[in-house]
Amino acid sequence: MIESLATNARVVAALGNRSIKQTIRRPQLAAPLIIFPTALLAIQTAGAGRAVDLPGFPPVTNFLSFMLAGAIVQAVMMTGNSGAIAFAIDMEMRFTDRLYAAPILRSSVILGRLAATAALGAMIGAYFVVLGLIFGASINEGVPAVLWIILLTSASALAFGSIGAAIALRTNSASVVQGIFPLVFVILFLSDAFFPANLMLEPASWVAQYNPLSFIVNGIREPIIAGWSATTQLKAIASVFGVGALGFALCAGAMRGRLRRGV
Amino acid sequence: MSWQGSAATVGALVRRALNEITRVPGAAIPGVLAPAIFFLGLTSVFGSLTLLPGFTTHSYQSFLIPVSLLQGAAFTGAATGVNLARDIEQGWFDRLLASPAPRPVLLAGLVLSASLRSLLPATFLLIVGLAVGVHWPGLLGLVIALSLVMGMAVVAATWGTSLAFRFRTQSAAPVMQVGMFLAVLLTTAYAPLHLLTGWLQSVARINPVTQVVEAVRQGFTGSVTWSDTWPGYAALFGLAAVLTFFALRGMRRMTL
Amino acid sequence: MAAIETQQLAREFEGGIKAVDGVDLEVAAGEIYGFLGPNGAGKTTTVRMLTTLLQPTGGRAMVAGYDVAKDAGAVRRKIGVALQEAALDPLMTGRELLELQATLHGISRKDGRERGQWLLDRVGLTLAADRRVGTYSGGMRRRLDLAAALVHTPEVLFLDEPTTGLDPVSRKAIWEEVRKLNDEGTTVFLTTQYLEEADQLADRVGIISGGLLVAEGTPTALKAEVGRPHLELCLVEQAGKEARAQVVLARFGRPLPARDGTLMVELEHGTSEVGPIVVALNQEGLDVESLDLVQPTLDDVFVHKTGQHLEGAAKEDTGEVEAIPE
Repeated sequence: MIESLATNARVVAALGNRSIKQTIRRPQLAAPLIIFPTALLAIQTAGAGRAVDLPGFPPVTNFLSFMLAGAIVQAVMMTGNSGAIAFAIDMEMRFTDRLYAAPILRSSVILGRLAATAALGAMIGAYFVVLGLIFGASINEGVPAVLWIILLTSASALAFGSIGAAIALRTNSASVVQGIFPLVFVILFLSDAFFPANLMLEPASWVAQYNPLSFIVNGIREPIIAGWSATTQLKAIASVFGVGALGFALCAGAMRGRLRRGV
Repeated sequence: MSWQGSAATVGALVRRALNEITRVPGAAIPGVLAPAIFFLGLTSVFGSLTLLPGFTTHSYQSFLIPVSLLQGAAFTGAATGVNLARDIEQGWFDRLLASPAPRPVLLAGLVLSASLRSLLPATFLLIVGLAVGVHWPGLLGLVIALSLVMGMAVVAATWGTSLAFRFRTQSAAPVMQVGMFLAVLLTTAYAPLHLLTGWLQSVARINPVTQVVEAVRQGFTGSVTWSDTWPGYAALFGLAAVLTFFALRGMRRMTL
Repeated sequence: MAAIETQQLAREFEGGIKAVDGVDLEVAAGEIYGFLGPNGAGKTTTVRMLTTLLQPTGGRAMVAGYDVAKDAGAVRRKIGVALQEAALDPLMTGRELLELQATLHGISRKDGRERGQWLLDRVGLTLAADRRVGTYSGGMRRRLDLAAALVHTPEVLFLDEPTTGLDPVSRKAIWEEVRKLNDEGTTVFLTTQYLEEADQLADRVGIISGGLLVAEGTPTALKAEVGRPHLELCLVEQAGKEARAQVVLARFGRPLPARDGTLMVELEHGTSEVGPIVVALNQEGLDVESLDLVQPTLDDVFVHKTGQHLEGAAKEDTGEVEAIPE
């Protein structure tokens, strides 16, 4: 018997809550999400900061304002990866079996995990905005920009989280998901996250111009260093939807596969 | 224990440590690939920095490769610490502790394997680097670079080992890895000293690992000179001495 | 000179936990000493102190004539230690492990190889010698662990629960080996959860409970101390009748804690009371279904001294017990 929508919503919230607490309470899960991207942001900003003097660099107040979007997206992707690892561990420990045996929609189990990732994404977005402001970044479009960034970050976390969840569902193995980690960085390098695509070396530069991640990064970056533009934001939204749609489709497929196999 | 006995003990422990990569299929692959992937990524992203006036070379690949080499060494060393933490958790280390082998000999056996293991990612990275245009450092430059890489691995292993004795659990792994990661990046990693901004310039100036980076870098971006070389070795010896003190103290505390 | 001697040996952990609270024991050279105790009694902590893996916080201990705190290095040269199954590396072969152990003791490569081969033959691992330890069964690992402890011909051998989790055949094989070693002059300090093991092997036995040594002596002497046989019986349709039965039994002897539904009573006057007991029970309307007269065992000594049964005793016959760490 599948319970009502209200029950399922509560289940999603409860599972989401648990996942968030899990992440915050275990330092080895939380540290990579916050400390690492923060350290990297600090070092890269200070190390490559003179890049703003390069001809062709978009006009910015300082390098930090430029880098902020990259740090946010990096943290979001690591959150998605981390959530997928935790999900895989849940499956390895058979915790999810307990959930599947309950009278709730199977998708609620996954949605619970993704809700947590989205919530964490929003927190991360807020954290980096505050951090950036403290250290001298300036957000051109002000408060509406901040709210939009947090929203977009949360949505991206959800989208990337769904891909991670699909991988976890398919492979059932935390160590495989962990092995994906370097791949996350490859995708980040082949995008606008840390440097303007036009100033990167080939062939990375070419890939970065068409990488959906670049569109998302630019969607977050634009209101910080410049003014709104419909094209940039629409591309960002479309990319988030695209990644999310892919992720959800993969999750659905993986779930069907599991049901067939009886897992 | 006689010196032959000590040498034999160190050799046996090093051989055992190498089993991790020779007897576990595929275990070495992530450690070997990661530095090369990061090298390619970072050089593609930040390559244009060489256009800045005052940059010491035209090839960002040549500039960055020492950093990637040292990061590879650092992670290899940190892995030694993680393995020791596992060995402590699972009781294997009791066997070593209950034996009459002197503590410094045990420590040497634990950390020296890292120097050999570091050659794997380093070699792979050099091949990749040379393929994408890194300047050939010359034989002397290469020898210096590799010896410093091996030394860095030992330093990182001693760091990881100290933490393993302190925390006695594999969950300390992120601390071991992040510590080394930051040590190598808080240097002239991304740009020459005078082009670094404010706080990073100050930190890089006092960070001993900067000397190691510069010593490894010389052959790749220019010529090898004695004045650029000796500070690198001195820094490694200094770090090794301090960390060895903490590691030995940590080992002695295992029985307290 | 005693092989092992402790004076008020103590170990306190953070939070004031006294795992070992002043233990005085003495093991003569050439003896097999069985160290018994329930889980959490302080067995493993005591062994770790005697093998220099843990520093005492009070008292002192001498092993093979050396102080464990001040001359740890000398102690390590004289002792062999087989602590847990986990002190093996799954990636190494049996032979490699023995050769490593030999190296750790400063034995030359050539001697180490010869000694390793001899030990492998002795413990029956010749065929498995060059296979990885990860492929060994539980029994094989214990034998390897034992062989490793013997590489340098130690004077005192410490065995911490050497047969826990093994099948009866493997267990007997280990006992054989221990007896042989002892015949050759090695002192053996053995902790165990199994009565039979202590009974069969030990010359003397020490019982630790709550961090204190509560009994020490030869198995015979200890049993004689407790001295009396006990009766084990089950009633027909026992449920609900235990209380009445206990009242009857109390007239004849000291009731003992029931075990697995079996009522037990320690008899004061001996076997002659069996008949009267059955009659007395019948008079109360309680029929006896089964009845067994049991002579004192170390478990009785144990119950007498600690109020508990020895953990492994109840499950001994199945030969399958999980190693329950302290």
